[in-house]
Amino acid sequence: MKTNCEHHKDCLKLIQKILDREATPEEEATFLLSKDQCLPCQEGYRLEASLKKAIKEQCHQKCPDSLLEQIKAKLFLFFILISILIPLLC
Amino acid sequence: MEVQLEEAITPPNNASEIFEKEFMPHLDAMYNFALKLTNDQDDANDLVQDTCLKAYRFAGSFEPGTYAKAWLFRILKNNFINDYRKKSRGPTKVEFEWFEQSFAGDEDAEPAFQADLKAESVNEMMGDEITSAIQSLPVDFRMIIILCDLEEFSYEEMGKILHIPVGTVRSRLHRARAVLKEKLSEYAKKRGYHSDTLADGVELI
Repeated sequence: MKTNCEHHKDCLKLIQKILDREATPEEEATFLLSKDQCLPCQEGYRLEASLKKAIKEQCHQKCPDSLLEQIKAKLFLFFILISILIPLLC
Repeated sequence: MEVQLEEAITPPNNASEIFEKEFMPHLDAMYNFALKLTNDQDDANDLVQDTCLKAYRFAGSFEPGTYAKAWLFRILKNNFINDYRKKSRGPTKVEFEWFEQSFAGDEDAEPAFQADLKAESVNEMMGDEITSAIQSLPVDFRMIIILCDLEEFSYEEMGKILHIPVGTVRSRLHRARAVLKEKLSEYAKKRGYHSDTLADGVELI
């Protein structure tokens, strides 16, 4: 097992590409093979995956019901205004 | 002239139907994105309302079958840049220095540092620590992290939303993550989370 990765900068970019589902199957397969033999790449992969998962799971906030009501009211008002103004202007 | 005026302000007849079916399912995501961009609940409310009104008004230019969420996010981001960015609560001076460090040089340059952070530390963190770290990033970094990691847009979709090439999406994301990890590493150290380093001799970057 390698404890020093001489291409770690490139590996880190590839790890992010893989986790973002932007890597080709070939890139992914090549990385997964080399990852088994490289401790920094294993650690890097775990860190990037954990971070992505944490953001996905912990950073979401639901739209308040009050905002939904405000939006509906605004759209209704807009609709009424348009219905009155267009015949007058055209 | 009359026709132009009517076209300019009149939504299509089926605007309400398009709004309900295509736009409403993305309201939570829009609110969340607006909140992360503005860092302020009132501004986020206004930004989402403005975006919805604009989306309703221009529903005729939305092509059914295309990705409504990306279309809405593009409107929201443009609204933010035009009307809210100036008053958005930006990073503090200290945080801005992080930005400068990480953005020293051109977009393709490597981040100027690499955080000493472990997956275990991230797993131990609560949501508010992750959220605070994201909120402290400069808005361009915040934006790209939310679009990618929370909303799961592809690089190509993010490029269209942000009006930047895919290569820039990739490099900005890489830098944004480097800064975020540095921030989280500070939290981890302060709060005494898992701080073991890699085995001796391992060069992180």
